[in-house]
Amino acid sequence: MKQTGIATKIILLSCGIALILMVVGCVLLVQYEVIMLNNLTANKVDEKENFYLYRLYQEKNALNHQLTSQINDLIKTMKSVDVIYAQTFEFQIQSLLMHPMVIAAEFCDKNFHTFLAAWKVKGIKVGKTFPDTFNLKNYMVINKQTGIPSIESIRLYYTIEKIEKQLQALKKQDINELHETRDSIYKKLHALFLVQSIGSLFVVALLGATLIFSLRWLILKPIHELMQIARQLKKLDLSVDIKTTTASHELNSLAYALGQLLEGFRKIIADVKENANMLSGSADNMTDIAEQLTNHSEEAESKSNNVAEASLQISSNIHSIASSVEQISDNMEAVSSTSEYLFNNINSVANAIEELSSSLSHVGERAKNGTKIAEQAVFLANKAGNTVNSLRHAADEIGGVSEFIQRIAHKTNILSLNATIEAASAGSAGRGFSVVASAIQEFAEQSSRAAKDITDRIASVQKGTYEIEDAFKDVSNIIKEMNESSESISFAVIEQTKAVQEIASNALEADERARNINVSIEDLSRTVNDAADNTAQVAMGANDVSTRIQGVSESISFNRQISHQINETAIVLNHLSGNLKCMVDPFKVSHQSN
Amino acid sequence: MRNINNITSEKKKMPESKRQFCSFQMAGHFFGVDILDVKEIIDEVVLTKIHHAPPEMLGFVNIRGHVHLVLDLRLLLNFSTKSIDESSRVLLFHPNVGESFGVMVDQIGHMIEVEERLIEYRVSEDNISGIARDFRKSELEKGVCKLKDRLLIILDASKFLNAVDIKR
Repeated sequence: MKQTGIATKIILLSCGIALILMVVGCVLLVQYEVIMLNNLTANKVDEKENFYLYRLYQEKNALNHQLTSQINDLIKTMKSVDVIYAQTFEFQIQSLLMHPMVIAAEFCDKNFHTFLAAWKVKGIKVGKTFPDTFNLKNYMVINKQTGIPSIESIRLYYTIEKIEKQLQALKKQDINELHETRDSIYKKLHALFLVQSIGSLFVVALLGATLIFSLRWLILKPIHELMQIARQLKKLDLSVDIKTTTASHELNSLAYALGQLLEGFRKIIADVKENANMLSGSADNMTDIAEQLTNHSEEAESKSNNVAEASLQISSNIHSIASSVEQISDNMEAVSSTSEYLFNNINSVANAIEELSSSLSHVGERAKNGTKIAEQAVFLANKAGNTVNSLRHAADEIGGVSEFIQRIAHKTNILSLNATIEAASAGSAGRGFSVVASAIQEFAEQSSRAAKDITDRIASVQKGTYEIEDAFKDVSNIIKEMNESSESISFAVIEQTKAVQEIASNALEADERARNINVSIEDLSRTVNDAADNTAQVAMGANDVSTRIQGVSESISFNRQISHQINETAIVLNHLSGNLKCMVDPFKVSHQSN
Repeated sequence: MRNINNITSEKKKMPESKRQFCSFQMAGHFFGVDILDVKEIIDEVVLTKIHHAPPEMLGFVNIRGHVHLVLDLRLLLNFSTKSIDESSRVLLFHPNVGESFGVMVDQIGHMIEVEERLIEYRVSEDNISGIARDFRKSELEKGVCKLKDRLLIILDASKFLNAVDIKR
């Protein structure tokens, strides 16, 4: 569960409160103890103070008494002595100062003037009076009347500082001890507080755990079960069984009541559902039936309409037939005259075709002859082409010979030149040879020219042979084409001959048929006249049928409207039952569904 | 040497004061050399090229066991070169003209015999003033021979070899 449950909240709250209470109690307790301790310590300190004051008082009194008795002893001693010397006084006064607490002493005469004084400043000093610097106001004084003539009174100055100091130190020590005790008690208290808080935390945890466990076991489990049931109910699933075996009595009774309610509800819903299903099924059936009815009536209507139209058409058609039959009988006569004319024509055509057939067979023979001639021509043309080819080769050879002649002429020319040169270098002796050489040169030039001429001629011959060869090729091609076409002509003529013969036989047959047609057309014309009379009667009957069928069509149309209304009502009923089913459907009654 | 050659050709002059020239054509021009300088005309030429030689030297040719140097007369006369064809011929010169050499010509012509009076020789170098002398580019032309219908330029074969040297 993402949300914290009730039990968890309660437990957390109560545990928190208990924790806070415990902590607060602990704090208060500790605070109280601290205050108590402080008070106790303060009382003790006061006691010590009082004790100190008392002691101080006692000591003072004791000292005073001691000193008084000492002075008394001194006075007694002095009274017992008859003659008193000045030295005696000094001795006496010094003996007074022997006491550690005594600071100074003086003896006064009758006029209360000091005549002898002794004081302690780094040892005992004796003088007539005290020095001015010596201040006696801070000290205690004992003034005693002696009764001795020479000494009226004795003053003794003493101090209680040392006692005070001693006592104060004592007091301080005591108080310190007290404080120390208190501090140690504080520490113990803190430890105690820590232990207490930890203990309380532990106790709280224990308490919380117990609470959680018990709540889980006793309350949450049944509540959870109930929650699950409720969730299923929320999905409109009524097929839940409620167990009443939980631990707590209150929840048990609650679950029992819920179970009873569910049982009742379940029964009702199941009934409603079944009924709704039945209703829906019957409504569907009804709709189907109504639709079928409508369809049927529509079909019937359309059919009857068609029939009515058809009957109307029939009657009109019959009328037109009647009129056309009359026309036919008129036309028939014209046809019969035309067929006679046709018969004559066909006769003449058959004769013409027979003539055509005989002429075609002549043409076929001629075409066969042409083919043979063409074959011969091709053969001859090929032969001529070969001859021309050999002629061309011969011309080529002649060209080679003329080149050779030209080369010889060149050589001869060079020779004659060289001969001329030789003749020239021979001088006048070579004069005759020079003439011969020039003649040779002339001859060489002539032969060269002749060779060139031959070469040119041969070239033109070659060109001519090439042209002849081409022309022969063309001629042979043309003859081949001619051959092919004459062959195809002869073939076509054969086919045509066949076709013409067929046509001739057909024409003969046509001739016979035409005669037959002529006879039957006369028969037909008679029959048509009869038919014209009959059709007029039929047309009247057809009109009657047409009017009756129209009445039927109207009644069917009325039927159709009623079936339409039924269909609409059934659709509404079906819709209602569907709605009811939808409403009930979400409730789940048994385990098997879904 | 040149002087001697000149003298020999002078000596062999015809008593009737007629001279014969071997004519040939080159780049459409009509040239001729003295027939006494010509040794032979050759038509079938197999040239062996000379490596590193100047372009005027076409190569060596072997004639009946004797090796001759062949010069390109076109280049010597400042025409452009032309490949050897059927009508190309080599004129071999006499040893007294130069040491066994010949020239390649485009086409050989006839032997021509003319009278001495029809030849006009060039003015000798000494008679020409400085500036005019500089315009003379070629020393090869010896003179001009007037024929019936045209002029024949007469070349000095003995100067061909030197012309190669000068050009270098």
